[in-house]
Amino acid sequence: MIICRNICKTYKHGSNRKQVLNNINLVVERGDRVALLGRNGAGKSTLIKLIGGVEMPTSGKVIRNMAVSWPLGFAGGFQGSLTGYDNARFIARIYQRDYSELREFVEDFTELGKQLRTPVKTYSSGMRARLAFALSLAIEFDCYLIDEIILVGDQNFNRKCHYELFEKRRDRTMILASHSPQIVRQLCNRAVIIHNGEASEYNDVNLAVEKYSNL
Amino acid sequence: MARNGLSRLRKGWAIQVRVIHALMIRELTTRFGRENIGFLWIMVEPLLFAGLVAIVWRLMKGASEHGMSMAAFAVSGYIPITLFRHGVSRSVAAFTANGSLLYHRQIKILDFIIARFFIEILGGMMAYIFIASILMFFDEFPVPDNIGLFLAGWSIYCLFTFSICLIIAPLSEMSEAMEKFVPVTTYIMLPFSGLFLMASWLTPQVREYMLLSPFVNAMEMMRKGIWGDQITAYYNPWNPIACSIVAAAIGLALCRRVRRTLSLQ
Repeated sequence: MIICRNICKTYKHGSNRKQVLNNINLVVERGDRVALLGRNGAGKSTLIKLIGGVEMPTSGKVIRNMAVSWPLGFAGGFQGSLTGYDNARFIARIYQRDYSELREFVEDFTELGKQLRTPVKTYSSGMRARLAFALSLAIEFDCYLIDEIILVGDQNFNRKCHYELFEKRRDRTMILASHSPQIVRQLCNRAVIIHNGEASEYNDVNLAVEKYSNL
Repeated sequence: MARNGLSRLRKGWAIQVRVIHALMIRELTTRFGRENIGFLWIMVEPLLFAGLVAIVWRLMKGASEHGMSMAAFAVSGYIPITLFRHGVSRSVAAFTANGSLLYHRQIKILDFIIARFFIEILGGMMAYIFIASILMFFDEFPVPDNIGLFLAGWSIYCLFTFSICLIIAPLSEMSEAMEKFVPVTTYIMLPFSGLFLMASWLTPQVREYMLLSPFVNAMEMMRKGIWGDQITAYYNPWNPIACSIVAAAIGLALCRRVRRTLSLQ
């Protein structure tokens, strides 16, 4: 279970203050597939970062009672100057996983071949997405935090992701920031619309998508 | 409950040790790569600095001063000061430079400072041992009289430097101007670092002021440990220890504060 209690997040830039999230309350049960809907800059990614513990809320609390992945997106989680293999090794170390197993899975899933020997900063965003997914799948989290843009890979990657994440790991919890009505309808059983810093929950995904398209 | 707390503490400790280990390896590979001598590069810079200064001083000021070999005196001053200057400059913007790694919750911002500082300590110690062995071979460096005292001085020096890093790192995230001030400040503090002189060479009045500096106290301990009865040293180990505790408390509070507002790509 993940509980967000009275979360507020304000960013300060010099004398500028911007309140992105205002008093968000959200409970995600085990097995839930929650879609975060909202326009650009509404605070979807911010909420995901707060749930993932990358950034801290200005006030309020996030309680995690399961293994939550780091936010899977194009940025973050990697050291650009290190190679794909080095990053994999680093992650194996800090998550206490066996490197040779992890390496095998990463090679198999990413199909990056020799590219894994080059620094991650030379990767395209699609390649980074592959690596991020491969590593987080190899570590096996209970809950995956996903920025949807990352799912826009090529056909082959999409198919693999679908299989690994949405079929093989059906039982896992997922929080997905998304713009695509199609993906949300297909994958999620709940939806949260973030608008003007406030969150409204919907148990009917179709209704939420409809509301969202009228924003 | 207490037992639960203890086992959680032990678990947390094990995780942090693992993270710092991983961070150090990562830092070494990014900074020095795997080519030629690889991570041995960490000792090259302090080695070159102390070595060249020792040669210059030896040529300019003669073989010895106040009964100490000139080269050894230069080395005993320059290795610690290099540790300090590198430690401080490596902690500037340490959090944002490593920001993408904060995506992994088990990595704490303190780990970045600790990992970087450990590398500097390792480099400094390796350089010290290397250069001292060479100088000993040429009879320019005495066999340490009291290695325990020397190590105590070195540890205290490291402790104080580390606690300063704990303050510099969060401050550098809070204000950009900070970054510009660091090099000047470390330069201006050189005379108060005990690098160029021993407290016993000073008049009692000046000495009193000089011994307010934690660096001077630690430096005197190290030199006393090396030369023993050949020199007179003035020091109070509690000065640097107390200063470290105060600085570390301030630094940790600042780190906590900065972590809350750190925004990452």
